[in-house]
Amino acid sequence: MNEALGYFFMSWVDPRLLGLIAAGTFAGIYIGAIPGLSVTMAVSILISFTFKWDINSALAVIAGIYLGGVYGGSRSSILLNIPGAPSAIATGLDGYPLAKRGEAGAAIGLTTVMSVFGGFIGILALAIAAPAVATLALKFAPRDYLMLAIWGILLVGSLSGGSLAKGIFAGAVGVLIGSVGLDPMTAEPRFTFGSLQLTAGISYVAAMIGFFGVAEVLVQLHEMHLKAVKQNVDKIIPPWHLVKKYLPLAARTSGIGVVVGALPGAGGDIAALMAYDHAKRTVKNPSSPFGEGAYEGLVAPESANNAAVPGAYIPMMTLGIPGDAVTAVIIGAMYIHGLKPGPMLMIETPHLFWFQVGALTLANCFLLVFGLTGIKIFAKIVETPKPLLLPLILMLSAVGAYAINNNPADVYWMLGFGVVGYVFKMYGFQVGPIILGMILGPLMDSSYRQAMISAEGNVGQFAGEFVTSPLSAIILAALTFTIVSQTAWWQRLRGRTSA
Amino acid sequence: MHTSRRRLPGELVFSMLLIAFSLFMLWQAYSISKFESFTSAGSFPMFAAMVMLLSGLIAAGETVKLTPLPGAEGESAWRQFVRQMTPGMLVQFVLAIAAYMFLLERLGFVMSSYLFLVISMRLLGSRKWVLNIWVSALSLAVVYLVFKTIFSVVLPSGTLLQGLIK
Repeated sequence: MNEALGYFFMSWVDPRLLGLIAAGTFAGIYIGAIPGLSVTMAVSILISFTFKWDINSALAVIAGIYLGGVYGGSRSSILLNIPGAPSAIATGLDGYPLAKRGEAGAAIGLTTVMSVFGGFIGILALAIAAPAVATLALKFAPRDYLMLAIWGILLVGSLSGGSLAKGIFAGAVGVLIGSVGLDPMTAEPRFTFGSLQLTAGISYVAAMIGFFGVAEVLVQLHEMHLKAVKQNVDKIIPPWHLVKKYLPLAARTSGIGVVVGALPGAGGDIAALMAYDHAKRTVKNPSSPFGEGAYEGLVAPESANNAAVPGAYIPMMTLGIPGDAVTAVIIGAMYIHGLKPGPMLMIETPHLFWFQVGALTLANCFLLVFGLTGIKIFAKIVETPKPLLLPLILMLSAVGAYAINNNPADVYWMLGFGVVGYVFKMYGFQVGPIILGMILGPLMDSSYRQAMISAEGNVGQFAGEFVTSPLSAIILAALTFTIVSQTAWWQRLRGRTSA
Repeated sequence: MHTSRRRLPGELVFSMLLIAFSLFMLWQAYSISKFESFTSAGSFPMFAAMVMLLSGLIAAGETVKLTPLPGAEGESAWRQFVRQMTPGMLVQFVLAIAAYMFLLERLGFVMSSYLFLVISMRLLGSRKWVLNIWVSALSLAVVYLVFKTIFSVVLPSGTLLQGLIK
């Protein structure tokens, strides 16, 4: 216990780590707030620069950026009615009407406090649940990992409102990109087309920067005409009675945030939308009607999306399965540092877990400080014109892709993936499942083959084990439900039941 | 939570291309180790390619059902595609990125990045040259210092002016 506390406070007493978390949180708020810059994009680019650092420093700065970025999106939602991040879409529904009424300061203040509250609930859940999940995860068979990985890809492909078929397609593309190179079991070349370069596989950092950085920049070119509406910001710190009034709602929606964040593949954006929906259904007398400046419409999504951040760390740390796109990138960072997230990592290097819990807690404290200060300068910075901003993002992306291996070919891969990602995005395909597929592909491949080998290559026995083991049966049921709930038949059935 | 969106120009062709690509990948996956065994190197890629093909077919079916986005009067399908999917600014910007990548190795990070920033800012509609020149110089200086000192990143030094500008 004392040991765990020591690791928890490691970043609090080391001035370098403390400074990195502060800088990360500060930068994260701005990255999250500037429309066109996303947390996933920033973390993808960042890992290519921090791979030479020690793992603690890299994870500390990433934790700060992640937590700050998810919160930061709310600011541009409130001030400009342009969500800085997908997790802030719901925030703008009531935040912007509040700003139009001249209550932007109060809205930002309340948002900050509730985001921090949600963050603490999430961290508490992470500290309590993760060790328990890791112990349970030791009982997981390879087939369970296979199903969890498939479930993660399905969830990210379906829950954010797109077509399930397109989500699955994107996930499968990612799996195939992830299997380029030599087979780790038999060393047979796969999809190398006779190229020596491809035998080493495709750099997933280049792919991540391409899909999340370059593709996003290209999509943004279609929105160059959107002009920001300037707002006045006044008093920021919310009165205590207002905070007290909304704490019960924030506690409920933080719970939603943690659970949704912990689901493999589902992140802050889905958590925020579900929490907003929950508030709409359960709050009888909101401060204003929802959509017209209800404080409840701010409290619910903002507490949920920040609670989802530590929530997403749960499957990442315990199962090695990302909770969302950012944690997929963080897993990539851990691989680069020679670590393999999963139950054994929790058992063999518990200090790394407690260090991350401590870093997230510290980042959450910094969030409160930075969230309640510097709004006026902030309002100016988020209005940076896109013609100046987008080339800068591109330059950072190119250097990030180059820096990981000092290989110019990676920069071309990045551009290629960026263009493909742009076309995918324009035609309604999400790029998140591609990255999840790339990261999870090797795990799925090895899990499938281990499960098949343990069934002695007998397909009947292999299939039977999915239903005879209680744990596998539960995961299979969840997986099946995810698919069935997306079908037209299920939607019709639900419509009939609720009618 | 499905959104009722319109079919964009070229979307149907893109769906067909994805199906063709899935078939190609399935063939490639099959070529790895044929039907050797259920645990061979090609077994899981074959499964993934099959999933890709099936979901690609379903996605194409969904695309067929969408109502096409109406174009301007008298506008051909090709023109509509160019206008909405590959506007001039986008094509020029992608070409500028490709040129930047080509020059990155030859001119080095500082020179190529500066040229890219100034030119692409202009391409994207920032008409004040002086502003572009200053913003590019300032941001490049910050990025260069941060990368070199904090991140210790090795930046491309360039083959043409090596030793002169690193």
